[in-house]
Amino acid sequence: MILALARASLVRQRARTLLAVVGVAISAAMLLDMVMLASGMRVSFGSLLLAQGFQIRLAPRGTLPFDTDATIPDASGIVQQLRARGDVIAVSPVLGAQLHVEHGTASVSAAALGTIATVQGDYKLLDGRLPNLADEIAANDALLTAVGARLGDTLRVAAGFDPQLRAYTGQRALHIVGRVHFIYLSAGERAMALPLATLQSMEGPTRADRASLMMVRLRAGADVEAARAAIERDVHTVSAISTATAIEQVEQRLSYFRQLAFILGTVSLAVGFLLVTTLVTVSVNERLGEIAVLRAIGVRRVRIVAQILIEGSAIMLVGALLGLGLGLVTARYLNSILAAFPGLPEAIEFFLFQPRDAWVALGLLAGCGILAGVYPAWRGASLPIAATLREEAVA
Amino acid sequence: MTAALFALPWIAALAVATQGIDSVPPHHAPRTVAIDERIAQDAGIRIGDTLVLASTPGGAGDTVIVSGLVRRSRDPSEVAKGAYRIRVHLDELQQLVGYGDRVERFAVATRGAGGADTARRAIDEAAFGFRAYSSHEIAVESSTTFLVVSRFHRAIGVITIVASAVFLLCIMLLKVDERRRDVAALRLMGISGRTIVRSVVLESALIATLGSVAGVGLGAAVSAFVNWHYQRVYRTPLTFSLITGDIVAIAVVLSLGLGLGAGWLAAQRLVRRPPLTLFGR
Amino acid sequence: MSDEILVAARDLRRDYAMSAGVVHAVRGVTLDVRAREYVAIVGPSGCGKSTLLNLIGAIDAPSSGELTIAGERLAGLSDREATLFRLRRIGFVFQRFYLMPVLTALENVELPMSEAGLGKTERRERARELLAYVGLAERMHHRPTELSGGEQQRVAIARALANKPALLLADEPTGELDARTGEEMIALFERLNGDGTTIIVVTHDEDLARAAHRVVHMRDGLIVDDRRR
Repeated sequence: MILALARASLVRQRARTLLAVVGVAISAAMLLDMVMLASGMRVSFGSLLLAQGFQIRLAPRGTLPFDTDATIPDASGIVQQLRARGDVIAVSPVLGAQLHVEHGTASVSAAALGTIATVQGDYKLLDGRLPNLADEIAANDALLTAVGARLGDTLRVAAGFDPQLRAYTGQRALHIVGRVHFIYLSAGERAMALPLATLQSMEGPTRADRASLMMVRLRAGADVEAARAAIERDVHTVSAISTATAIEQVEQRLSYFRQLAFILGTVSLAVGFLLVTTLVTVSVNERLGEIAVLRAIGVRRVRIVAQILIEGSAIMLVGALLGLGLGLVTARYLNSILAAFPGLPEAIEFFLFQPRDAWVALGLLAGCGILAGVYPAWRGASLPIAATLREEAVA
Repeated sequence: MTAALFALPWIAALAVATQGIDSVPPHHAPRTVAIDERIAQDAGIRIGDTLVLASTPGGAGDTVIVSGLVRRSRDPSEVAKGAYRIRVHLDELQQLVGYGDRVERFAVATRGAGGADTARRAIDEAAFGFRAYSSHEIAVESSTTFLVVSRFHRAIGVITIVASAVFLLCIMLLKVDERRRDVAALRLMGISGRTIVRSVVLESALIATLGSVAGVGLGAAVSAFVNWHYQRVYRTPLTFSLITGDIVAIAVVLSLGLGLGAGWLAAQRLVRRPPLTLFGR
Repeated sequence: MSDEILVAARDLRRDYAMSAGVVHAVRGVTLDVRAREYVAIVGPSGCGKSTLLNLIGAIDAPSSGELTIAGERLAGLSDREATLFRLRRIGFVFQRFYLMPVLTALENVELPMSEAGLGKTERRERARELLAYVGLAERMHHRPTELSGGEQQRVAIARALANKPALLLADEPTGELDARTGEEMIALFERLNGDGTTIIVVTHDEDLARAAHRVVHMRDGLIVDDRRR
């Protein structure tokens, strides 16, 4: 009967109930989005870093990977040193550069990654094969489209310019043997992968046996932090960064979004709380006479409070479910805005949905809704019966 | 006239800050450098201190004397970067890193109206493999990040306004509905619906005005706090939150409009129903 | 009327602290009501008769005095105990009916039985019987807003009888009704009493008071006359 009474009360005031549901839905949507934003970057970036199974990254001492133009000297020596460690399965040295590409009349610049194809962790092969020989490259779709080239074509690629001779330096003819997708590059960024030795040679003596970054894959079960510390201690020219540290660094730079998520999430909760409190208070105030009569005919206070809480919870539940859908839609929209950050890897998502997030948001909202309704409901159910009936009669 | 930029290549002189001061016999009289405030604070370096600049950690380098501290500018692009900076004489840096007679870019100041365009064309034609950009083009390119943030803020703002409108309507409806019996009694007495709507709208206007004033005050306080907090966190003089007259005007107009609109809608809903229905008959 | 004393009030008092001073609504009432009695409490407005009814119905608590209903002392009952007492032992009929507007007549009558833990089938059956008893069998699925004042009051009476109370209390039950409907209500009360229900009514209605077996006059918070007819 209490359920029937609650349902009937909600249906009696349709417009009000509907509007309250919409209000809660919006609150729930914002809360869900902020919960997603708070954890999305961390999870997304972590997945990205571990996508190819490399747990440690080495950068020139005092820098972050690709944060500066600095390079690690004696790259081959360091690779050998690392491979000799018992807990290391693979080491992937990477050299980054900007190269100039010509094909027919097209002429563009593109990012180039010099890697060792067998151990690389920077790209996935979509078509063709990996570039193993000195004069081979693999290109992404953005580069192929920009120069109008296809698999099998030959590109003229140069490392620099000599303004006095008005000619390219370090120019080679390189054959496209593979079409790849670069995991860590932003959408639309033109890029190619070529053998490390080829790029080092093209870049000239300043880049001989140097690498911009090294990625280290450890054996399963290895202590990542211990390995990281040991490598940093033993190799003086590098800073070793574990995935956890890298995530922390990125989070620090993007801490603004986490703080924004916290603030907006709190505001959403507060507004949802306020909405339900107002709704329950007004609803109770309108029905003081009814509540007093229920008490007079013998209905217990706790049952009356339960009825009122059921009404509030029903609005919360329906609103929260609607908000879930709305939140996912707005999250996609907001994510598409932030995905336009220059240089952001395409795979990074700021708003990443995890079922845990939905539960957290729903749980917070439900808890708030119940808290918001308890006080006005209890207050209304505790008023002196006779006095309330008299006041209602006068009113 | 194009503003002059200082062309300073990035180097791994970070090695200095992280490894402290070494004693290396100078091969020429020490030259001077200027360091930014952050590295001075973090490494405890002061004007007059002697440093060794090297291109690799622990490598041989040049002894220099700190002659000045540089304050960070209000450059948004530097906000999230934790890197340190020092300013070195160009030739010394070229020699230190083995760069030869090379730089990464030039900044050019021109004279007279149209001087920038003329210079750009001339440079583009003459310099093989190089391109000249106006400062405006660079600014646009480097502002992309902030345009994204700006769009994001705008989207959040729109969502917040829509949400606020719904909340306001909801609460206004509830509060006005609470008085339906009073309204019914007034209607039965002969008071017109228009008078009642006017009365409710007037009340809404008062509440909206008070709310707007309070909101502007709250917004100003929060803005001041945001600037204080982030300037501390990022160690920058950059202004993160700026309240202008336009922004205040938009906010006030919006809140007044929403408040009046919500009041009007709620009142209309009441007066459209027959008085006896409002009594529950 | 039996010899069993259902209501025993001894020196009952009820004071209200107001901003202008203390109001002594009931100033020492001593009253016994036996089972199957039909008692009317009459008096001018403000004499304390409704307050006395509220005290007997455990809706309000006395400032002092002793009150025993159906052998149960009401002094010191917790809110929960008082609520349970009202549910099981008292049936209250209000001047303004106070039906739940969102429930049908049938559901309104079921409400106290649901609270008392009766099963759905059983309470529905009893609710139908009660509505038939008060002459509203055809209107059981109507909501209160679809019923006339007299019909609403009949539903209220049926609701008050739901849990077979020891005592039926009615505060101005004909106050909101026209003369003809009032007469029907008087006849219904007589039938109820005839079927064994102990009734105490508070009323200004002389016809209703005349129908009672005993009339208690109150003035200024005290009983000034108590006559059996």
